[in-house]
Amino acid sequence: MTLLELKNVTKHYSPAVAPALADISFSVNEGEFISVIGPSGSGKTTLLRTINRMVELSGGEITFAGVSISRLRKSELRKLRSKIGMIFQHYNLVDRMSVIENVLHGRLGHKSTLAGILGSYTLAEKEQALRIIQMLGLDEYINKRCDQLSGGQKQRVGIARALVQNPKLILCDEPIASLDPSSAKIIMDYLKNISRDLGITLLVSLHQVDIALKYSDRVIGVNRGTIVFDGKPDELTRERVSEIYGFDAGDLMINLGESEGYAS
Amino acid sequence: MMEIDESIEVWGKMGKRDGGNNLRPLIAKPLDRATLAIRLTLFVLAGMTTYTFLTLGSNGVNVAQATAETLSNFATMFLHPYSHHLTVWDAFYEVLITLGLAYLTTVLGGVLALFLGLMAAQNLAPKWLTNIIKSFVAVIRAVPTILWVLIFAVAAGLGSTAAVIGLTFHSVGYLTKAYSESFEDLDRSVIEALRATGANWWQVVFQAVIPSSATYLLSWTFLRFEINFGNAVAMGAAAGAAGIGFDLFMAGGYYFDLHEVGLITYLVLAFAIVMETAATYMKRRLQSGE
Ligand SMILES: Nc1ncnc2c1ncn2[C@@H]1O[C@H](COP(=O)(O)OP(=O)(O)OP(=O)(O)O)[C@@H](O)[C@H]1O
Ligand SMILES: [Mg+2]
Repeated sequence: MTLLELKNVTKHYSPAVAPALADISFSVNEGEFISVIGPSGSGKTTLLRTINRMVELSGGEITFAGVSISRLRKSELRKLRSKIGMIFQHYNLVDRMSVIENVLHGRLGHKSTLAGILGSYTLAEKEQALRIIQMLGLDEYINKRCDQLSGGQKQRVGIARALVQNPKLILCDEPIASLDPSSAKIIMDYLKNISRDLGITLLVSLHQVDIALKYSDRVIGVNRGTIVFDGKPDELTRERVSEIYGFDAGDLMINLGESEGYAS
Repeated sequence: MMEIDESIEVWGKMGKRDGGNNLRPLIAKPLDRATLAIRLTLFVLAGMTTYTFLTLGSNGVNVAQATAETLSNFATMFLHPYSHHLTVWDAFYEVLITLGLAYLTTVLGGVLALFLGLMAAQNLAPKWLTNIIKSFVAVIRAVPTILWVLIFAVAAGLGSTAAVIGLTFHSVGYLTKAYSESFEDLDRSVIEALRATGANWWQVVFQAVIPSSATYLLSWTFLRFEINFGNAVAMGAAAGAAGIGFDLFMAGGYYFDLHEVGLITYLVLAFAIVMETAATYMKRRLQSGE
């Protein structure tokens, strides 16, 4: 079943420069794990952020769960965003607050303004937050301030904040770009489990082609705001990679055959 | 050991190479516009100071005698504090009134400044709005508190009403700047992340912005309370607002009762110390509570 559909999406940040997104069309099925790859400045971040309207479209149409998102009113937009989680390269947690407080922030979109202001979370919400924190192996840090956590732990808090939203879709913008290889693997494994066990759809922008190939069901390659590849990982040949990056794949030191080495 | 030796050697080499060419411009600071401005300012200030001293009229005051008499007055004040017109309890009550004035103006100013501070924080409000609010409160702050009191006295008459409005006004200017800068400590990208979960502006403010700047807000508010306490004493004297300041004014300027001035000063000092201790204690409680 189609969860998300983009039709001829364009985005101009300013009329003077080339568009950040030019005529992007694709659709996403429920439960898919999709990686978005492409060189720096190709429009990955912009693409992800148009989906929850953190960036406004210049043209085209996006449909999420049967609802066209471009003309939503304020309250409808909140409702849309509450169904879409987002994970960031720099985690974007409130550093001076505790893990549990940060995780519960994910519930704000589901609450009335007043209940949110007063921070009156229901018992069910707290229990759910606790379950998710345990699932991500963060129980011993639950009351710690987030500035005392390591990068990998912070990203797990970021994942927990997204999961507590009960999202249908999670957008991940370079979730492992600031992590060391072993923390990166832990995070990618969690994302894979979320996709497989909870059936949540994931759209992940990545810089590492080998990781994209290993984890995802489908890869979308963007270059200068257009889609130049959209297919299964095993269809992504060396030639297609160099097409996406505009280089020779060899120059990029990407060894497509050795992606297994990362996993073990 | 090997590594350390090696790194030292490398540093040595780098030093040799860099010291020759690259470091020199850093040491000989070029005369840019900022340095020029600083030097000009210092020069003008030095000139003005010299001029002032040269033209200061001493009007035949004998410096030695004047110093001795001042010291003797201080001795009367602070070594023999005593009250003639006020009982100690009266004085205590009057300090409480002054304290009330400081408290009222700080709370009123704090509440107003909280909202203005949110509108002046660059991560929370559009740029045009922050610019308007920031220039508005800059103007308020530029005018001294006592002048605001006198300005409001035109409408309200000299007395406690003018003092309350004037003190509150200046507190708003001061606290809005302090609060908005504390709010700006929270990164814009963090606020965006919360907006992306569907949280609205008010929820983000109350669930993330204010809690994470709470200790700053509290310290700024206490600091302003201390300032307002001092101002409230001065207002009692200068603007005829009630409180210990008025008694201080009467004792010093009307009855020339230096003993009583000493007593009142000690009382105000005692209150200031108690407040400072309480503030420190509360801040520590708040920090360890996290
Ligand atoms: N807020 C903005 N205002 C103006 N231009 C922007 C803005 N954000 C992005 N751009 C431009 O849009 C284009 C796409 O940027 P985007 O951040 O989406 O790329 P990206 O693929 O995420 O890059 P990276 O891999 O470096 O994160 C770039 O040319 C960038 O300069
Ligand atoms: Mg990006």
